[in-house]
Amino acid sequence: MQVNQPIEAVEFPRLDVFIPELIVLITAFVIFTLDLILSSPMKRRILPIITATGYSLSLATVILLNKLKGDTFYKSFTADHLGTVVKTFEILIALTVIVFAQKYYSSRNSFYGEFYYILSFTLAGAMILSSSYNLIVIYVALELVSIGFYILTALLRNSFISKEGAFKYLILGGLSVALASYGAVFMYIYAGSLDLREILSYKGEDQHYLILGLVLFLIGFAIKIGAVPFHFWLPDAYQGAPTPVTALMASVGKLAFFIPIVRIMPLLREEFSDVWIITVGIIAAITMIYGNMVALVQKDIKRLLAYSSIAHSGYILAGIAVTEVIGLKAVVYFLVVYTIMAAGSFFVIALLERMGNWKNLLQDLSGMRFNLPFLALSFMIYMFALLGVPPTVGFVGKTLVFMALSFDKLWWLAIVMIISTGISTGYYVRIVVLMYMKDKEKEFSLKGTNPLEIISLTFLTLLTVGLAVMPELILNLINSASESLFLR
Amino acid sequence: MEVIRAEFPFISLSMIIPIVFSLLVFFLNERFTRLLAVTGTTIVFFISLLLLYLFDYDKANSVQFYEKYPLYEEFNVYLSLGLDGLSLLMYFLTTLISLVAVVWSIRDKQITTRLKEYFAVFLLTESFLIGVFSSFDLIVFYAFYELTLIPMLFAIGVWGYKLRLYSAYKFFIYIFVSSLFLLLGIAAVAVQHYFNYGSFSFSYFDLLKNNYNTSLEIFIFLLFFIAFAVKTPIVPFHTWLPDAHGEAPTAGSVVLAAILLKMGTYALIRFNLGLFPEASLKLMPFLVALGIITIIYASWMTIVQNNVKRFVAYSSVSHMGFIVTATFLLNHEGLRASIIEMFAHGMTSASLFMIAGFIYNRLHTFNMESLRGSVRFMPLFAVITASTAFAAMGLPGGSSFWGKFLTVLSAREYSYALALMVLVGGFFSAAYMLYLLKTLFLDVREEGILIHFQDIRGFKFAAFFLLLIPILAVGFLPHLFFNMFDGSINFILKRLVGLE
Repeated sequence: MQVNQPIEAVEFPRLDVFIPELIVLITAFVIFTLDLILSSPMKRRILPIITATGYSLSLATVILLNKLKGDTFYKSFTADHLGTVVKTFEILIALTVIVFAQKYYSSRNSFYGEFYYILSFTLAGAMILSSSYNLIVIYVALELVSIGFYILTALLRNSFISKEGAFKYLILGGLSVALASYGAVFMYIYAGSLDLREILSYKGEDQHYLILGLVLFLIGFAIKIGAVPFHFWLPDAYQGAPTPVTALMASVGKLAFFIPIVRIMPLLREEFSDVWIITVGIIAAITMIYGNMVALVQKDIKRLLAYSSIAHSGYILAGIAVTEVIGLKAVVYFLVVYTIMAAGSFFVIALLERMGNWKNLLQDLSGMRFNLPFLALSFMIYMFALLGVPPTVGFVGKTLVFMALSFDKLWWLAIVMIISTGISTGYYVRIVVLMYMKDKEKEFSLKGTNPLEIISLTFLTLLTVGLAVMPELILNLINSASESLFLR
Repeated sequence: MEVIRAEFPFISLSMIIPIVFSLLVFFLNERFTRLLAVTGTTIVFFISLLLLYLFDYDKANSVQFYEKYPLYEEFNVYLSLGLDGLSLLMYFLTTLISLVAVVWSIRDKQITTRLKEYFAVFLLTESFLIGVFSSFDLIVFYAFYELTLIPMLFAIGVWGYKLRLYSAYKFFIYIFVSSLFLLLGIAAVAVQHYFNYGSFSFSYFDLLKNNYNTSLEIFIFLLFFIAFAVKTPIVPFHTWLPDAHGEAPTAGSVVLAAILLKMGTYALIRFNLGLFPEASLKLMPFLVALGIITIIYASWMTIVQNNVKRFVAYSSVSHMGFIVTATFLLNHEGLRASIIEMFAHGMTSASLFMIAGFIYNRLHTFNMESLRGSVRFMPLFAVITASTAFAAMGLPGGSSFWGKFLTVLSAREYSYALALMVLVGGFFSAAYMLYLLKTLFLDVREEGILIHFQDIRGFKFAAFFLLLIPILAVGFLPHLFFNMFDGSINFILKRLVGLE
């Protein structure tokens, strides 16, 4: 019967695959309410605990429910292996951010209850962005994450550069969302569908719309991941933001913004692959060369790490250029481990910034081995990991990217990558040399570290080495994720 | 290549012991530091002596004491450790030189600060070097190859002389960037294995079966070659070496010259010749020419040096030129020459750097002329220097004789002109060594500046003494060594001849 059809089409959403996101959203609303009713000293004590509990629950459900796969909400939300891997790391890093944020904000005399629920909304946005093929959902999640980041960046009392960074981020971020949504419109015109899987498998007459749509979509996301020449907001935002938030942007943000591109990559049809290789390859090459060159002359540590983050976007894009399974494996592995390296290195700086006469200058690192041996050791490990020295995750990531590039015979991109890594040696090794081989210039001492902070930092540092020495811990998951994506 | 499994994991044990001792050194009181370091290296040295005894010389072309632990099976990455004749020799060299370096450092007056870290660094280096010479998995080889950089970066940067930071930078950047080419090459061969057989593999034994088309093979050969050429070093990639050696502490220079440079030539034989025989044959004239240029250019540079350490450093480069030339002559005598010279140069260069370190300890300068006429005060030191110099210049009975003699012989198989060029190189090396002896000991000292130098003694003498025995052993009993690595040479030659 005609009448029944729309009723049959209404499905009851499968909520079980959405539980992790739901928990984070509920956490966010609970904190939002509590922030309104609780007194200020209570908030300081209770809000972090509730947030951490919520995230831990969510993390537990992600891991426990990893067998549940499938689409829900009319195919606009997809739970798959890739989502599981990515979400695990997103929640993990967000948990550590809470640990470091508490003392950081109190050392700056600025406590905001808003921090916790905006963090939660951002995390929820990132998680949804990581598991959707639907253009509308991608758009909404993208906005959720972006707006969260704008606010978090600005959320520091008496700091001008924080506001400046947030403003720059807001303007360019707005442009990026506009471009991405405009691209989405063209893709919809081409295929008459909002689902990326259907769009990319649709063989329509007028492929100009698809190409135009894809290019605009790509540029929109290129702004978000800080690919050159769309990177101008990134160093300012990273420098201005409170350092735990910088860690969040460099890890969770980067991971979430990359995932839609990662999802497009295996769906591309053969006839587009040449265009894709050239476009993405050239952006990757420019990004890594430029990021590393500019990082070389930075004097501020946070800006240096920001440019190194740009360069890493380049390395990851180089993997994305290779539309093969091995390319996808390289990309997902590199993305996931980059979150650890980036978050860890920014956390070290978050700890250092708590000291009174710390100015974030490279020179201040001199002789850190004598003042703060533990922080110096972990920072050195992160530097070597970012550089790609074995046995760290950065090394395995670079090896996988090199394998992917030689799989597609993209020798020119591989050589560019070698040269730009060579340039990066200059500044990473300079940091190690400053910390371990120079005499100390100032006395620094770190007072009142929270044991949780030390534990989290140790955990991340161990992961940096452990995931490289025992790669099967994570590569098996990534294998099944990337192979299942290519099966479609 | 045949594989004989180990009944007892000797190799991994000899890698773990230095790490354990380095941790002990680091965490125990500074009183025990020296004792622990010497104990650790001595134990490993005795393990290597035991392995020399247990090695089955009749099956010298097979990989013995083989151990295999899975790291990542999807890509066939295994921690596979083993020794064939060639690696056994390098393994022995590593343990011996590490012991010598530690014994020397006991009384090194330059090492005043951060004593625990100093000895820990050398113990770690020993462990990583054993990994380099014994791994038969390319990615594991690469990991150890890179790992040796970090302790050396610290050795140069923390305990070096005036320009230590600059030299440490330069050293790290040169070697790290060049080895990224190696990493790309390794990735490319693993991917080629996928194209040939449907699975990625980093295992040396699997990769021996790879087929390439010629241009790809030459390209990958060059990727490998760049890394090893910088490490060896071959002119024009040598500029990091005089700085690194010139500024490193004595024991650091000893380890650098005696073992780290050998990683380059070892890998040239093991990987470049072993994996890419066709490309090796194609590029041979070019590579031999590079070798000869290295010999002659470095010899000239040696003679004009005024700083003892830089003098020894450049002489190392010229000796490495001999090794590279001999390697790429691609015949039996040439490979024999190359491998035995690797061992011999390990001994003599270590000894020469300790001589330079001794001079600095006594005089606080590296100026060669500052010591002139000192044979009167330090006869024992003069004798040691003279015997080392004679061994290094290739006097019969000394260790370098066989290397140079066999290089000339194997060059003669191609043309007399080539042999003559190698001979000229040998002549230069004799010239600069004699010049060194003359300047250090024989020139007349101006009267009036009468300083009494104390002669060499104690632990420093012990360090030299440890080296003297192998130097003479190579000179007088070369067949013992040939027996050891002829199997490896035959294996590589078979692959080369199979193509001709």
